[in-house]
Amino acid sequence: MNIHINGKAYSLGGHTPINVSSALTLHFIEPQQSTFAVALNGDFVGKSDYDTTSLNNGDSLDVLLPIQGG
Amino acid sequence: MSLNIYGQQLDSRFIIGSALYPSPLVMKQAILASGSQVVTLSLKRQNPTDQSGLQIWRYLQEIVTEVNGHLLPNTAGCRTAKEAVTLAKMSREIFKTDWLKLEVIGDDYNLQPDPIELLNAAEQLITEGFNVLPYCTDDLVLCQRLYDLGCQVIMPWASPIGTGKGLMNPYNLETIRLRLPHATLILDAGIGKPSDACLAMEMGYDGILLNSAVALADNPVLMAKAFSQALQAGEQGYVAGIMQQRQTAHPSTPTLDTPFWHKN
Repeated sequence: MNIHINGKAYSLGGHTPINVSSALTLHFIEPQQSTFAVALNGDFVGKSDYDTTSLNNGDSLDVLLPIQGG
Repeated sequence: MSLNIYGQQLDSRFIIGSALYPSPLVMKQAILASGSQVVTLSLKRQNPTDQSGLQIWRYLQEIVTEVNGHLLPNTAGCRTAKEAVTLAKMSREIFKTDWLKLEVIGDDYNLQPDPIELLNAAEQLITEGFNVLPYCTDDLVLCQRLYDLGCQVIMPWASPIGTGKGLMNPYNLETIRLRLPHATLILDAGIGKPSDACLAMEMGYDGILLNSAVALADNPVLMAKAFSQALQAGEQGYVAGIMQQRQTAHPSTPTLDTPFWHKN
């Protein structure tokens, strides 16, 4: 199964969907930070739904963090 | 007199951005010097090993706490209503605020807001309980539509983002003020110098949002103070009541009994 996180491709063994919580462990090297938010295929996923929201083959996850802005 | 943003009364009429400063320390000093109680920020993809965004975020939290202020997340970079709505929801989860500077850009050259997508996004976000502060062009009818949707705060541009060109179309801006007397109007984007801010306040605008003009100044801290004073001067001038322009000259010194009067 292939997914993208912030544009980076990840190939996972098998075809079993993974949930957002598991996908985030691929992204964050350090212990998971709390200050981020997630969108799956362009739709917001709230923190309370990470364990029950699955990623399937070809899905794209965005993980965004605060940054300066005008 | 205070700035009313969705029922919150703020002492300062200056909303300031957090980007483009030469260093985080200068950013903090400039924000404090501005007297602003509202600071804009954003969300972005970041390398998970790069902690700089988080450090800035914590720094901004300290600043906002120190000034008893508010964060105003934006939707910079969004091109469609769907993107803006998604980013707004992500911002609300992180920043714990319903306030949102809504940006939906329609053109890459001048970063002009897309009025169709903007209205669409504003409508959805208001339904979702957001307090929307839309960044828009100086189009009266667009501003009217946004206000009718429920945007209590409208933020027309002075000129394109980051240009510093000042008020490109004062007539449009004055007309918006005249036609939307009950809206909170904040001039956003394109302001280059303190006199631009002063001019907008003299028109009766309720506040100013800017970033580049302070952050890119040779001395951002001093420029932040200059803008703060310009806003106060403009506001006081508006409240005091500016005299009507006259076509002909009128002597300010009484002419009665003037000596050496020319009798011919």
